[in-house]
Amino acid sequence: MGEHVEADNAEAIITRIEHKSRKIESLLKQYKPVEALKTALEGSPPKTRDERCKSANWIVVHRALMAIKDVDLMFSSLDPEYYDILMKYLYRGLSTGDRPTCDQCLRIHEKLTQRAGLGCILRALSDTVNTV
Amino acid sequence: MAAIAVHQFADCITCHAWSPDQSMVALCPNTNEVHIYKLVEENWERIHVLQKHDQIIVGIDWSKSSNRIVTVSHDRNSYVWNEEGSAWVPTLVILRLNRAALCVQWSPKGNKFAVGSGAKTVCICYYEQENNWWVSKLIRKRHDSSVTSVAWHPNNVLIATTSTDGKCRVFSTFIKGVDAGKPKKSGGGSLDAKFGEQIVQLDLSFCWAFGVKWSPSGNSLAYVGHNSMIYFVDQIGPSPLAQSVVLRDLPLRDVMFVSEKLVIGVGFDCNPMVFAADGTGLWSFVRFLDEKKAASSSGRSQFTEAFGKFYGSSKQGTSNDKSRAGVHDNCINCIVPMKESESTKMTSFSTSGLDGKMVIWDLKNQEDLLEYL
Repeated sequence: MGEHVEADNAEAIITRIEHKSRKIESLLKQYKPVEALKTALEGSPPKTRDERCKSANWIVVHRALMAIKDVDLMFSSLDPEYYDILMKYLYRGLSTGDRPTCDQCLRIHEKLTQRAGLGCILRALSDTVNTV
Repeated sequence: MAAIAVHQFADCITCHAWSPDQSMVALCPNTNEVHIYKLVEENWERIHVLQKHDQIIVGIDWSKSSNRIVTVSHDRNSYVWNEEGSAWVPTLVILRLNRAALCVQWSPKGNKFAVGSGAKTVCICYYEQENNWWVSKLIRKRHDSSVTSVAWHPNNVLIATTSTDGKCRVFSTFIKGVDAGKPKKSGGGSLDAKFGEQIVQLDLSFCWAFGVKWSPSGNSLAYVGHNSMIYFVDQIGPSPLAQSVVLRDLPLRDVMFVSEKLVIGVGFDCNPMVFAADGTGLWSFVRFLDEKKAASSSGRSQFTEAFGKFYGSSKQGTSNDKSRAGVHDNCINCIVPMKESESTKMTSFSTSGLDGKMVIWDLKNQEDLLEYL
């Protein structure tokens, strides 16, 4: 029973992420990368242990993250409530080992740490329940 | 300056406790011994060394009412020390633990003490007159991991615990014959619970929790998480009201209520942090207590600073990064209140840490904090 509910739930989450993905593409076409990133980060991490959902959400966040050109400009319009979740995705990006992704994540990581402090890193690393 | 005295007692101090009149301090210099220092003509002199434990002592508490010292150690034992003449005589307390004891505290009346342990249990110990023996009763249930901190409610019955499973829990420790009659209902918690019954479980942190303390009235409590968060909880009971405050800096290890509206937190940032509640009861970070710590304005980024932390503390204080060179130069893991008399407000306290220093602080001349005292 529990597994069944989890599967249904996972389908619903995947549908929501697909919807999010379409919205992000349209925001990127309108040259609104920060709005796209906010949309990607909203509702993260998906409230499930299902790795498929987490990967799907990461793909969406990754798409928005790589579209950020000016990091300072991004932070001028990104509210502090997004900092903790953004840090978690930066570490997921760094764990891929992919060169362009890591370059971009490190660039944002430096600026984010200046703004949010070491506490933000601690919260990203220590949370083993709400992983992204 | 908020720090009024700094003493280098050892290379590292695991914990310390004051005698009831605060003329003596007991501390563990990261060994299996307790050293007792006394202030003699402006100098701290070591007057006793308590040797009985086999491993590092991690908890010392000196009873306010009975001049007894209780110590707990990684060797899984606890001793109650009585001063007889000029010597301290230990009595072994059989805790029946299969893991290290981690923390200890006397109850406000001094007739019980609580020991948190790595065996996922809390021992409540009390003295049995007829057998001339300290008895340990275990709270076995509920904890899914090591108990890192215990704190007694002022009513002598409720205790709060924090654990490495991230939870903060409140239990009743009512023991027939020790706690005379049913205690009066005060604060939010219901007190007619049996021994070991859980009153509430607070599920706010997703990683290790440390350093729980009750406010002086017992109406609220505070504890910290290893995720750089501090939690304040009001109305302890079926529907508690919780607030989480996010820290910009490194996590805390221990907290202390100065008043209902003022909390000091100490930890890995080597500098006590001040938290205060405004008129509506909303808690927020005020500032660091040691003013030397300026906002990081140097050219070094926080990122390289983080690397400095990882590569050992030897860099700290010696590098040209003066922003972190405060009174303490390593993690502070213990904060103890110092009260001059019952009538006066508590304004001073002491901290000790891995740098082996014990620092005495006073808030009296901190004008911006006086309104919260």
